[in-house]
Amino acid sequence: MIDILHHLLFGLQVAVQPVNLLFCFIGVLIGTLVGVLPGLGPVAAISLLLPATFHAPPVASIIMLSGIYYGAMYGGSTTSILVNIPGEAASVVTALDGYQMAPQGRAGAALGISAFGSFIAGTLAVVGLAFLAPPLASVALKFGPPEYFALMILGLTVLTFLAGGSMVKSLMMACVGVIVGNIGLDLVAARPRFTFGLDILLDGVGLVPLVMGLFGISEVLINIEEKLDRQTVFETRVKGLLPNRKDWQESVGPILRGSIVGFFLGILPGGGAVISSFVSYGVEKKLSRHPETFGKGAIAGVAGPEAANNSATAGAFIPLLTLGLPSNAVMAILLGALMIYGMPPGPNLISAHPQLFWGTIASMYIGNLLLLVLNLPLIGLWVKILKIPYPILFPLILLFCLIGAYSLNANVAEVGLMIFFGLLGYLMKKFRYDGAPLVLAMVLGPLLDNSLRQSLLLSGGSPMIFITRPICLAVFSVVLVILILPLLKLRKIPEERIS
Amino acid sequence: MSNPDRFSSIVCFVGGAMTALWSLKYGIGSFSEPGVGFITFFAGAMLALLALLLFFSSLREKGKTDGLRALWAGFDVKKVLYVLVLLVVYTALLRSGGFPLCTFLLLFFLFRVKGAYGIWTTLVVSLFVTAASYLVFQEWLQVQLPRGILG
Repeated sequence: MIDILHHLLFGLQVAVQPVNLLFCFIGVLIGTLVGVLPGLGPVAAISLLLPATFHAPPVASIIMLSGIYYGAMYGGSTTSILVNIPGEAASVVTALDGYQMAPQGRAGAALGISAFGSFIAGTLAVVGLAFLAPPLASVALKFGPPEYFALMILGLTVLTFLAGGSMVKSLMMACVGVIVGNIGLDLVAARPRFTFGLDILLDGVGLVPLVMGLFGISEVLINIEEKLDRQTVFETRVKGLLPNRKDWQESVGPILRGSIVGFFLGILPGGGAVISSFVSYGVEKKLSRHPETFGKGAIAGVAGPEAANNSATAGAFIPLLTLGLPSNAVMAILLGALMIYGMPPGPNLISAHPQLFWGTIASMYIGNLLLLVLNLPLIGLWVKILKIPYPILFPLILLFCLIGAYSLNANVAEVGLMIFFGLLGYLMKKFRYDGAPLVLAMVLGPLLDNSLRQSLLLSGGSPMIFITRPICLAVFSVVLVILILPLLKLRKIPEERIS
Repeated sequence: MSNPDRFSSIVCFVGGAMTALWSLKYGIGSFSEPGVGFITFFAGAMLALLALLLFFSSLREKGKTDGLRALWAGFDVKKVLYVLVLLVVYTALLRSGGFPLCTFLLLFFLFRVKGAYGIWTTLVVSLFVTAASYLVFQEWLQVQLPRGILG
């Protein structure tokens, strides 16, 4: 306990260094901005800003990128409440009751409780992260390649299970991700793999062109053809941002429950902010004495999910920082970023780079405070930004993508690669294939290859190593259950029809 | 080809099968000594198998008879193609034409995509954004942007 407090103090010293404080501020500001702007989520924003961070100190960069992630959760609620357009997926549920509160003259209370709820949840989750990550990292030190391989397969399987739409399609995307992730020079045999004579592919497919294309360019292409309607912004002046006594009474329980639900679901691979906000909403509706008010402006329906999605962002850092396993697309990009900075995440990260680990955790606390200060007074500004017409906005997003991809290595070919992935992402969206499993598998691809080969070398070529080791057996059993679950669900349909 | 899933599953099947076959060429090795194409072989084969599963499950879906055209029905796909062409041309000309000129032209055409503003407004905004982005990225962030014909 004292050790943790000592480390947290050290983290605070790192986080309050002027450069880190500045990057934290920029991160949460950009995060709120992308959360506010529909069609530009944290994944796209982090992808766009990743190349810019290569010129900055790694700790400050990670602090900023993390700030974008949890900042977007704050910003997303503004659009949900005022426009009924969730700025990002985790705020979809907030729109159900938040938008209903706006015409009742309670938009201020909704925005206020979502900001306070997010702050409380974010703070609790940071404490949870500080206490849970170090012991998990010390357990993870005992893991060998077979355990890592099993955990990576579990991460991919859970993500495909929880991803929206067809699980088969998500698994297919995970396979594509593994293939794309293994393009390039094979380090063991020093032989090129799927490079087709192209020099640009020798180092593998870059994470930045891939994510910028899949999430940035494709989003613009989808929005261009969809014609977003931005004229429905809630016009009445937002007032009374401080929730009253009754609001607090109705919200304290949901905020605390949302914090816990969000934190633990955030840890799970594939869980993340979206799932946790939905689960929290379901829990609150079930526990409420007046479930009929949900969907008609119940403040608990805003407080719970907003707390949950913020708490989940902190929870998601646990598997990344302790095991080196990303639990969602944002974490996969952060994993790639850490590798580029020469700080591979894993059990050794805490001891090898304590300033990064504890500095990031402490910065999240400071970031949550900044967000609270930023969000309430600046709501008017966010509403104005919402009114920026898309014909002005999308060329700027595209320009940012183009410069970002080019600036990596001053190579035009990477820009071409990004456009290719942009087209691929657009088609994937059209045919309803989820991009998250592809990115996660792409990042994990080389690690999967390495751990699989090392495991087989360890066992002298026997795949039984994945069954004879207890942790592997347990993990693969869970994988099997997850894969079988949808089949059982499919079998149930005819029975229901019969009944 | 009436179902989009049927089309996409065939594309993925071909992609997966080709990856698996190509991995064989690289050499998949053995369990005791995995080769260069080991993991990509299994990933490709699994992709092909899952694509087959998707294909056959799409055959069983009776109600879903929308064609590929339905995916783009009611959408302005011409604008998407136009933007894609602009991006490709920009990429092809960036090195020779230089960042300032190519970016100005790209922005001018992109701002005109939705046709919401007049030519003069578009020209001024494009010029301003080009200058601002050049200043920020080239001068402040030290990104080496190509100068092309300007220099």
